[in-house]
Amino acid sequence: MRQAGAYSGILSRKTGPHSLPLARIKKIMKKSSDDVKMISGEAPIVFSKACELFIEELTKRAWIIMTNNNMHEKRRSTLQKDDVASAIIATDVFDFLVNLVSNTTHDHNNCEELNDEESRQDSP
Amino acid sequence: MADGQGSSRSPASPNGGGSHESGGDQSPRSNVREQDRFLPIANISRIMKKALPANGKIAKDAKETVQECVSEFISFITSEASDKCQREKRKTINGDDLLWAMATLGFEDYIEPLKVYLARYREGDTKGTSKAADGSTKRDGMQPGPNSQLAHQGSYSQGMNYGNSQGQHMMVPMQGTE
Repeated sequence: MRQAGAYSGILSRKTGPHSLPLARIKKIMKKSSDDVKMISGEAPIVFSKACELFIEELTKRAWIIMTNNNMHEKRRSTLQKDDVASAIIATDVFDFLVNLVSNTTHDHNNCEELNDEESRQDSP
Repeated sequence: MADGQGSSRSPASPNGGGSHESGGDQSPRSNVREQDRFLPIANISRIMKKALPANGKIAKDAKETVQECVSEFISFITSEASDKCQREKRKTINGDDLLWAMATLGFEDYIEPLKVYLARYREGDTKGTSKAADGSTKRDGMQPGPNSQLAHQGSYSQGMNYGNSQGQHMMVPMQGTE
């Protein structure tokens, strides 16, 4: 498997094997507490993979909940915020996120987009 | 120049223009803050799509929610790891601390894939990025290669024998979601 830049060492973070930017991860780590002073080079690498696993798990759980709901409601194939929130509420390890989804319900207003999506899905 | 003139626009000058017209100037500043707090939505979206069947679509608000959750996840794990370091009077949070924190907080399913991922990284199949990934880790000038260098600082002493998984190059399946 050959990749551009693999030998020159200029491989950018975007095209590297880590699917999330390490510098950004490090920033978020530092922000989480004043006590966080030094972070080993390996730590953001661990997170780049861990976040990937986390996103996959959350997404899959939300998807399962959505498809289960489809049995009762009209069918749709677009994952929405409510599905993510339901997955968080239904899963014990995601308890630390419960406040986040219950507090920010009105944070992002995407009504237009959602209506658009839903009207497209409307026909059975 | 042209201070009081609302009609004259001077895009080049930082404080020029009336406050009504320079609304667009504020977006870069707020973007910087956003960038500090969240991982890029495009990356998040890509990983989410990978987890869904081909016909699956994702609304923007779902992506944004996951984006917030990921930052919260990082903070949650980091805080726990940081507490551990403080108790043990260490200053640097390392990969072991994070694995320990994840196991403690209920994400033990992630440990095995992460160990495999780390082992692969340490074996040096990411030569190109090891420099960028090094970050705070300083090289002591003798070019030991990612293997030997990391072996010293990253031995999994707390019962996490990553040595077992060394040499496994297989793809790691997603665990614990079905």
